[in-house]
Amino acid sequence: MGWRGPPLASSQPRTSTGFFTAQDLHWLLHSPGPPLASSQPRTSTGFFTAQDLHWLLHSPGPPLASSQPRTSTGFFTAQDLHWLLHSPGPPLASSQPRTSTGFFTAQDLHWLLHSPGPPLASSQPRTSTGFFTAQDLHWLLHNLHWLLHSPGPPLASSQPRTSTGFFTAQDLHWLLHSPGPPLASSQPRTSTGFFTAQDLHWLLHSPGPPLASSQPRTSTGFFTAQDLHWLLHSPGPPLASSPAGSTLHWDPDPSTLQLHSDSDLLGRGLRLGMAKVTQVDFPPKQSVSYSKETQTPTCTQTHTQEEEEEEMAEPKPAEESQEEKADEEEKQEEDLTEEEKMQLLHSEEFMAFFDRGSRIVERALSERVDVCFDYSGRDLEDKEGEMQAGAKMSLNRAFSDERWSKNRVVTCLDWSPQYPELLVASYNNNEDAPHEPDGVALVWNMKFKKTTPEYTFHCQSAVMSAAFARFHPNLVVGGTYSGQIVLWDNRSNKRTPVQRTPLSASAHTHPVYCVNVVGTQNAHNLISISTDGKMCSWSLDMLSQPQDSLELVFKQSKAVAVTSMAFPLGDVNNFVVGSEDGSVYTACRHGSKAGISDVFEGHHGPVTGLSCHSAGGPVDFSHLFISASFDWTVKLWTTKSTRPLYSFEDSCDYVYDVMWSPTHPALFACVDGSGRLDLWNLNNDTEVPSASVCVNGSPALNRVRWAHSGREIATGDSDGQVLVYDVGEQICVPKADEWTRLVHTLVEINENRDEGEELAAQRLVA
Amino acid sequence: MQFEETLKRIQTHKGVIGTIVVNAEGKTTLDNSTTVQYAGLLHQLTMKARSTVRDIDPQNDLTFLRIRSKKHEIMVAPDKEYLLIVIQNPSE
Repeated sequence: MGWRGPPLASSQPRTSTGFFTAQDLHWLLHSPGPPLASSQPRTSTGFFTAQDLHWLLHSPGPPLASSQPRTSTGFFTAQDLHWLLHSPGPPLASSQPRTSTGFFTAQDLHWLLHSPGPPLASSQPRTSTGFFTAQDLHWLLHNLHWLLHSPGPPLASSQPRTSTGFFTAQDLHWLLHSPGPPLASSQPRTSTGFFTAQDLHWLLHSPGPPLASSQPRTSTGFFTAQDLHWLLHSPGPPLASSPAGSTLHWDPDPSTLQLHSDSDLLGRGLRLGMAKVTQVDFPPKQSVSYSKETQTPTCTQTHTQEEEEEEMAEPKPAEESQEEKADEEEKQEEDLTEEEKMQLLHSEEFMAFFDRGSRIVERALSERVDVCFDYSGRDLEDKEGEMQAGAKMSLNRAFSDERWSKNRVVTCLDWSPQYPELLVASYNNNEDAPHEPDGVALVWNMKFKKTTPEYTFHCQSAVMSAAFARFHPNLVVGGTYSGQIVLWDNRSNKRTPVQRTPLSASAHTHPVYCVNVVGTQNAHNLISISTDGKMCSWSLDMLSQPQDSLELVFKQSKAVAVTSMAFPLGDVNNFVVGSEDGSVYTACRHGSKAGISDVFEGHHGPVTGLSCHSAGGPVDFSHLFISASFDWTVKLWTTKSTRPLYSFEDSCDYVYDVMWSPTHPALFACVDGSGRLDLWNLNNDTEVPSASVCVNGSPALNRVRWAHSGREIATGDSDGQVLVYDVGEQICVPKADEWTRLVHTLVEINENRDEGEELAAQRLVA
Repeated sequence: MQFEETLKRIQTHKGVIGTIVVNAEGKTTLDNSTTVQYAGLLHQLTMKARSTVRDIDPQNDLTFLRIRSKKHEIMVAPDKEYLLIVIQNPSE
């Protein structure tokens, strides 16, 4: 039969080192007992009542493993305990010896300790340590040390922690490790020594240990019969070390006192095939009748659920008084089980909530503005800002995402027309990550300091061009490598496109490098052109088939491999396209001359970028456009002439993109493959850029886009980074006379061009 | 999972001491043991703040609650049913 207890200090037989014997209990049960303090709660769920004990002692008890008689000096074994907890229980006696609510409380214990005790049945000496010894506890605590650090069974809701109250695991732990009271006798206090009555007394009357903030169990963790039960039936942790040589071994023969330290065995030996008590229903306070049902296992939730519930439940009982027990119970019932929690986490509303909430919180977290800042002692920090203001171009933000933009090239950039702080960047595929989606578009936010994208979108094929849909603020359009046009919506919770064009001959079958929304609020179309010269116009509501399509062929035969496209300001019919063969073409969408109209030859390599003049002002320069090409040059053209007006030859690498400033008529930016971002001001100098900056690391800069305000420039590079530069005021803000100056500049350029041609012609002749 | 990724990002953000997600009735605790205290108290405060905003103007609603104290900043993003609470030490 059962549990051996700790190794004995000496070879004394078990009884003389005073374990809580049945006899003691018996005596206790028939004595009047101490007056109960009024604040002691009584629940039927956790405490060993006198009634239980009484019943146990007088009932046949569990079948004994061996043939040992059950005597009144027999020991309260784990088996007994277990059986007690799982058997129906005694009928309530009408004449209860103690009180009708009889619980074994610390007060009882205290009283017990100070009373002379029962007459011993035999000549057993009764030592002053005649109770559950420290050794027991110590052994228990150290071999099953994890008890203190494990969540334990769910606690009864009504356990208060008072100094007249209950013995918590923490108390015990603390007691074992604190100096303790001066010893009454010369008994040494060793770690294997006994918990003297004095110790216990001291514990009960001292304020108790300070509650550690990282309490292993909880501050309300009581050592209840339930705990013990749970303890006895759980496998227990692997032992950290074996205690002082002794091993605890479950030996059915009670006379052998060999104890093995194998807690597994301990657990196993004790496991009597009963399911763990996991769900405990805590009935309302009012019921004081001893009800065994609460201690029988009612359902089979997992142990981890217990732990969770307990963790959530534990802090509450400490604070709440008994009157609030009903509330507590309600709350406990609603504490979430693991399954419920997972379900909840996956529910629509939760995800929508979390999406919104986390976005706002991330922004708020990144704000470093200290509204309580004190300027009186901190002038130095301010001066830094001043220095920046005078600079020509300064890096404002760098956007990149470890997961989504690394190893990808930025293929397109677009600023949102509606929210000037939003910028969409599209990326091509990541060769190092074949399992990740090939096409990624990220929407970045300039306004807040958070470094993660506002929205992340993907699709199956690499995105070659992207734009905010001008009259639909929630939509982002992307043109992909496969020829599909995809539409993302930031209202949906999905990262994948909400609409896609079909992959068919009626749509595009070649990579779409240009997408643009043109028109007005009421009459607009999405225009897309792919590298096989096909131009389709779509309605954003229905991407299943193009509204209109047009083959861009030059001279009825040669299809134009379009790499870039631009619409002049205010024009929805005429546009310019640049092609791989180095020529720029003007074309019309509708009308008798629909298709390619004129060819502008001049570049010696594929045209990579085109931009039509868009800065509105007193003079109309919408006939001007600029083009960038692999031939290291940027050329300025006018639609009125098929020869370039001017060629900017300052670069030493492929020029990948170029764009007019939306506010300044003579300013444009271009980027090249050596990491340079140049700003040219035609009114200042046409030979060299007015401002130039080289990006750290010199990655090839693939795209450049002015913000609609004309104060910031975004560039995308081959490393997947999007950099936003602030342009100094004196450069980007046009003065009133810029337009007229540009007129003069153009006249000069024209004259030079004509002269140059004349000279060239003369040389040829000569 | 997107939820965990994002949550982890928030939790590992500079200065963040803790994050809690609370639902209207009980709690889904995601962090350490001071959680329950925070969750309960902030829930009450948020409800009070929301009712204050609505009392002043019934068309209005609480969108964000930010409490700046000497030591911490507590941010609460409320919703119809849930609360996302983040506690940050802004000086870190």
